[in-house]
Amino acid sequence: MNMIETHNLTKVYGDFTAVSNLNLHIQKGRVYGFLGPNGAGKSTTMKMLLGLTYPTSGSFTINQKKYPQDRISILKEIGSFIESPAFYGNLTGEENLDIIRKILGLPQSSINDALEMVGLIPYRKKLAKKYSLGMKQRLGLAGALIGQPPILILDEPTNGLDPVGIHEIRTLIKSLPQKYNCTVLVSSHLLPEIERMADDIGILNHGHLLFEGTLDELRMRARTAGYSANNLEDTFLAMIDADNQQKGW
Amino acid sequence: MLFLLEAKKIKHTGYLAAFLLSGIISCIFPIIHMLVRAETFTSLPGNPYVILINANWKMMTMFNILIVICGACIMYHTEYANSGMLKMVTLPVNSIHLFFSKFLITALLLAGIIFSQITVLVGCALHWFPNASFDFISILKNTGFQWLIFLPTAMLMLFLSSVCKNMWISLGIGIIMVFTVSIFPQDNFVVSLFPFCSPYQTLAVVDENSHTQFFCMSCIIQTVLFYLAEVLYLKTRRSFT
Repeated sequence: MNMIETHNLTKVYGDFTAVSNLNLHIQKGRVYGFLGPNGAGKSTTMKMLLGLTYPTSGSFTINQKKYPQDRISILKEIGSFIESPAFYGNLTGEENLDIIRKILGLPQSSINDALEMVGLIPYRKKLAKKYSLGMKQRLGLAGALIGQPPILILDEPTNGLDPVGIHEIRTLIKSLPQKYNCTVLVSSHLLPEIERMADDIGILNHGHLLFEGTLDELRMRARTAGYSANNLEDTFLAMIDADNQQKGW
Repeated sequence: MLFLLEAKKIKHTGYLAAFLLSGIISCIFPIIHMLVRAETFTSLPGNPYVILINANWKMMTMFNILIVICGACIMYHTEYANSGMLKMVTLPVNSIHLFFSKFLITALLLAGIIFSQITVLVGCALHWFPNASFDFISILKNTGFQWLIFLPTAMLMLFLSSVCKNMWISLGIGIIMVFTVSIFPQDNFVVSLFPFCSPYQTLAVVDENSHTQFFCMSCIIQTVLFYLAEVLYLKTRRSFT
């Protein structure tokens, strides 16, 4: 069963097409890695899924619910982290999560659970503006993970984290479907990251979906097309390069 | 619930402290004025309260307008500084309810300040004018009127702050508006209806010209219109972002 489905989703800004006729199929209980070079349309797609920006055309359903009719109902089921950590710097980490908790109607214990998941328990009483970049990133993630939502949309969640932090968050994201049966859509420009945590991947270039499927399917396709299939990075670069040449970008 | 959440968000921002400080200064102003120029005012004929409000209200209102401008800017700066607003938009909550909660906080604090200011004016009248007498109802009536005619300014300022991500732009617009209205003739009825200008009017003067009902209706309509402008802004901004 597809948890997230987009149907010819398109976003146009003036004469620039950020996302073009995108058809994504994200299955329930899987980690979907969203890959693409800078400006490919990954963040725009995620913003559309969260209702932060209206699609120019096309539609999408999330857990069988339609946007914009079921917007509030959709947002109840999504934990998100978009672009950069979003928080109130004048409040402590705990107070930031308390605001989210109250809006979502979660129990008090959910704050500690979320803080524990991202390793922020010792710093929960500290003002968020005094957090380091990595701690802010963790707070942003805690805001997405609080209450274990059935769907997670994470845009470059490991940005600004040190190697240990990246490993922790990667392990956490990978474990989420098993632990909480949640579906994760995660974007990253770190290709090995996606390779290590995603079950399925989608490759986007200039707003067009070049590939969607499992990692094995990608390798097979790479071999068939004569690209290097040794690692995801080589395959990705070869696919993007071929697409750019073919379309004259 | 959203009102309480919005109240929580202004923790550690200096918002409450600024309102409190401005309220205290504006309340002290008529006392100092009377201590220095008591004879000038006590020798004037007429209602002591009207004499005092005519002598002090412009300065007291100036404080109120400045704090409403700063307050709106602080509230939205808190939202935009670390993208707290972005998080709110991705949560199952209607953005217009958040805006209205902010307006409610401003309006309540403003009511408290105006009530204190009117009470201080009444207290000054009772202390310095031997024949002055006031009842609580009259204090409430004056507070209610002065509060009501302040609402369009508060709503407009919150709307401007919500639209401008850069706090200095909304602060600048607010300050420019304050000084622009001082250029216009203050006794012009039409001009006195506009935000940033209406708060300077007093119930005594408006009552004298039998404009009270019209004035109140105009302020209510303007408040609703600025609220609708925010609704429209929230509905359309997703098309351009």
